[in-house]
Amino acid sequence: MATPAEELKDPVEGVGCSRKRKEDARFIQGRGNYVDDLKLPGTVFGTFVRSPIAHGKVVSVNKEAALALPGVLAVLTAEDLEPLSLHWMPTLAGDKQMVLADGKVCFQYQEVAFVIAEDRYVAADAIELVEVEYEELPVIIDGRHSMDDDAPVIREDLQGQDAGAHGERIHHNHVFRWDVGDAEATDKAFEGAPVSVSEDITYQRVHPCPMETCGCVSDFDKISGELTVYLTSQAPHVVRTVVSMLSGIAESKVHVIAPDIGGGFGNKVGVYPGYVCAIVGSIVLGRPVKWIETRVENLAATAFARDYHMRGELAADKDGRIQALRVNVIADHGAFDACADPSKFPAGLFAIVTGSYDIPTAFARVDGVYSNKAPGGVAYRCSFRVTEASYLIERMMDVLAQKLGLDPAEIRSRNFIKVEQFPYQSCLGWEYDSGDYHTAMDQALEAIDYQGLRKEQEEKRANGELMGIGVAFFTEIVGAGPTKNCDILGIGMVDSCEIRVHPTGSAIARLGTKSQGQGHETTYAQIIATELGIPSDDIQIEEGDTATAPYGLGTYGSRSTPVGGAAAARAARKVKDKARRIAAAMMEVSPADLVWETDRFVVKGLPDQSRTIKDIAMAAYQHLPEGLGQGLEAVEYYDPPNFTFPFGAYLCVVDIDRFTGEVSIRRFYALDDCGTRINPMIIEGQVHGGLTEALSIALGQELVYDEDGNILTASFMDYFLPTAVETPHWETDFTVTPSPHHPIGAKGVGESPNVGGVSAISNAVIDAFAHKGVTHLQMPHTAYAVWKKINELGMNK
Amino acid sequence: MQVKLEKRYVIDAPVEAAWTLLRDIDSLADCMPGASITEQTGDNQYKGTVAVKVGPVNTAFGGTIEVTELDESNHSMALSAKGKDKSGTSNASMQLTASVSAADGGGCELVGNSEIKVMGKMANFGARMINGVADQLINQFLTNFSNRVVAAGEGEAAQAAAAKVAEQPQALNPFTILWGMIAGFFRRLFGGKDAS
Amino acid sequence: MAKKLISLTVNGQTHEVAVEPRELLIHTLREQLNLTGSHIGCETSHCGACTVDFNGESVKSCTLLAVQADGADILTVEGLANDGVLHPVQEGFTEKHGLQCGFCTPGMMIRVYRFLQENPSPTEEEIRAGISGNLCRCTGYQNIVSAVQYAADKMSAE
Repeated sequence: MATPAEELKDPVEGVGCSRKRKEDARFIQGRGNYVDDLKLPGTVFGTFVRSPIAHGKVVSVNKEAALALPGVLAVLTAEDLEPLSLHWMPTLAGDKQMVLADGKVCFQYQEVAFVIAEDRYVAADAIELVEVEYEELPVIIDGRHSMDDDAPVIREDLQGQDAGAHGERIHHNHVFRWDVGDAEATDKAFEGAPVSVSEDITYQRVHPCPMETCGCVSDFDKISGELTVYLTSQAPHVVRTVVSMLSGIAESKVHVIAPDIGGGFGNKVGVYPGYVCAIVGSIVLGRPVKWIETRVENLAATAFARDYHMRGELAADKDGRIQALRVNVIADHGAFDACADPSKFPAGLFAIVTGSYDIPTAFARVDGVYSNKAPGGVAYRCSFRVTEASYLIERMMDVLAQKLGLDPAEIRSRNFIKVEQFPYQSCLGWEYDSGDYHTAMDQALEAIDYQGLRKEQEEKRANGELMGIGVAFFTEIVGAGPTKNCDILGIGMVDSCEIRVHPTGSAIARLGTKSQGQGHETTYAQIIATELGIPSDDIQIEEGDTATAPYGLGTYGSRSTPVGGAAAARAARKVKDKARRIAAAMMEVSPADLVWETDRFVVKGLPDQSRTIKDIAMAAYQHLPEGLGQGLEAVEYYDPPNFTFPFGAYLCVVDIDRFTGEVSIRRFYALDDCGTRINPMIIEGQVHGGLTEALSIALGQELVYDEDGNILTASFMDYFLPTAVETPHWETDFTVTPSPHHPIGAKGVGESPNVGGVSAISNAVIDAFAHKGVTHLQMPHTAYAVWKKINELGMNK
Repeated sequence: MQVKLEKRYVIDAPVEAAWTLLRDIDSLADCMPGASITEQTGDNQYKGTVAVKVGPVNTAFGGTIEVTELDESNHSMALSAKGKDKSGTSNASMQLTASVSAADGGGCELVGNSEIKVMGKMANFGARMINGVADQLINQFLTNFSNRVVAAGEGEAAQAAAAKVAEQPQALNPFTILWGMIAGFFRRLFGGKDAS
Repeated sequence: MAKKLISLTVNGQTHEVAVEPRELLIHTLREQLNLTGSHIGCETSHCGACTVDFNGESVKSCTLLAVQADGADILTVEGLANDGVLHPVQEGFTEKHGLQCGFCTPGMMIRVYRFLQENPSPTEEEIRAGISGNLCRCTGYQNIVSAVQYAADKMSAE
């Protein structure tokens, strides 16, 4: 972290400064502008009637009593949306999803009818008056049984279709089969390998659960024909394009605005039925319609995360050098595949499953399946399934280490991609941009006195105590992505920045990403400040208003810094280029005679001859020689040449109470390498937050369903969110291995702590039992689950 | 979510008396506070309501009951019920079989097996309490049933039982149920078997 | 449902509002008094985003009916600063990066405000217990603890 002295040295508070955040001012004074804060005159409130059963036919819907209630303005059902072809909508994964129940319901809490009333209290009364008759159908909850011979048909709309958006479908509940790698070579390697291990690993279904639930306010102006939708969206431009396509209103007349968002974590990427119904309602009623979901609705019906049933296999030699990796996955997508993946990657970037290791051959197969649960799957700081892939390989490394009697840190070191191998071509098709794994690992191990901890563990084990040390060395892949293979609904995954410098020297920049707390108003200003010599305080950053911001694909998958940040740097360099020519004209020299120093162009060899960016800004709006043109601005759409590959060494020490099963994190040390560090204070904050989410997943979170499809964890009574008491102190450290292809060498870091954290904590808990031959324990490692193992092993006697 | 309960209850009254009450659906409903039969819609079909609170979920179920089996010679019956909460957020169904048989000493034993399936809000938020609450409800029901059977007889015991029947609360008291659950928990913990 | 007239003082200003008997205080504050700083994050009284200072106590305003607030003296986040001068708690949150998305922040700061009146020089453990009624998903609490320590130091120096 930059010391105060170092910060003073940077007059523009640019890249590398732990400067305070510019956006804080409004939040700490209660002047944040979240969707529910919006008060347009005449706003009415919409809320859903939802299915109490997980699978069934909708026999009838009776709106009479509801419509008769004073204050109720409309009750929409699929029948009402059908003439507009809006009763179903396309998902981001090439599937389609019911907006309102069309003849049947496929998951509990699915939207059946949308009631619009004068206020939220009347709406709450009205939904109880809508009478719906259901005929229950058998339910599939466990994705591993979705493709059983006698499994019920969930998607009757897909009956007879033996191919979907991603190829062949082998069963009525099959979504896609995605293969990557060399199956033949991998099978061969396994046949000949001296050692092999196999483990069934389920990454349980969880939910990103930001503090603010999803919602929108839709306002249609009948006179101008313009539709304005304020909504909780991490990708407002994509939503605008989708809304335009669905509504038939020209994109130029659709204004999507994402104001302040209270956390996203992947929960706010897709289009939800609530948005569609609010939009329809506002067009039909001619009044703004507000839809804000409750927490129960958020947990039960919006984008969940994970639900991957994985079988991992490693083949190795007797020294633990991996020869092959084989992975088979059943991916449970719920009732509709609504995953927000780049369209060619139905299993996201899962091919990172070779992790930080130099593996000669590998094969992974992912079969997506339907079940009677809410749609989704890609969310919760997962970088598009990287959390799942990383968990798999980090668990398998421990499993292999255990089989061979090797130390978990040692076996990783033996298999690391070496620094001289970068850029590294993985056998599953990625080109890792840069990394120095051995340095990072050594630094981390030394910082916590790893050898000392292992000694302590030995002594504690002899004493019957449970102490675990978890090692995780993750490499993740972020910054989607190169347009040659990354698109969302056909739109290439670029991102953008438009910068305009004002005559008096301050500037404004608008970008196509959208912060939900990551501090973009500060970090982007820092990038531009360093490039242009304008103090970051004087650079206004705007995101989220699609009417003014250049087109972007939004913020998720840690792509803001790698793609948006690159666009900002490049746009700034375009501005600087013009500034150079203006300065040259002002000083009557050739542009090549100028050198840039912090905030000014100086004539080579004539230090007194200079023009500051401020001088140049004013000049840009005055008389200029022919050919230059007034104004000082630029726009850049950045098509990244590659993804970026942040990595990290995470070490976790746990003590487990052998009578209660309670897991206590004694120490957690996180070393991250995200390349160039724009604002160390913000990076640390991201790591603290991500590690806390990782803790919640590893030690307590799960979306649990009973055998009839009732969700049992749909509120904070049952869904675990750690408080400040359960959360330990997090230690952070770093190395810097810049990305060679990024304009400022930055890689992005937002999701790293969730990727590495879950593995480190889970590995630690399982490591506590390793000496008893335990190779894997299913997450979440709740006190009860851990206690059951302790009891089984007789360790509590 | 499914709840399976098996109950046995010894009643200090002759088998015939117990059977008389068991086969009378209206009176059976009276034994369950908060429940009532509102209409007989067919030979063996009825409509009814029951109000019950499970944890944070307050419901008012309305539904149908069908007596699917009535065996006079074996003193056994079976019924099937299903209903939904008037807010539309929960529904439940139950399959019940019950029989009475003579026991030593002139009394009889009532044996009942029920399978209850719950969907919706009650299962979402009341799941961990359902077993306990259902257990308590059935216990209350059995006590009331027994009181009524005995009260229909003669003598001191009958009079005492009749008094208890008169006192029986008309609505389900969640605190009584909660207390019953807690007391039952401790009783089981210390090895006792509560009347189930 | 006939509305009831109540009177409540919020951030030093007294308001007369007509409320439904079942109206929650958080809705009255946000929608009738336009004080949208306090937020709603759940409906089971767990998250604390709605926390206000109510007659000298930290209270989750989603768990209180507006009619129960008749005659009450309430402080919300909008009333923390004094004439444009930030309260040490607000300063602490900015200095120590104790917020990211800002959604839990108003409730968190109002809780901290009362906590520091109750315990002006808390240990870290006491701070964590003191804010355990307020959930945050972004910060992992570590910098919030630092912010509280900063505020405590500043307030004891004043």
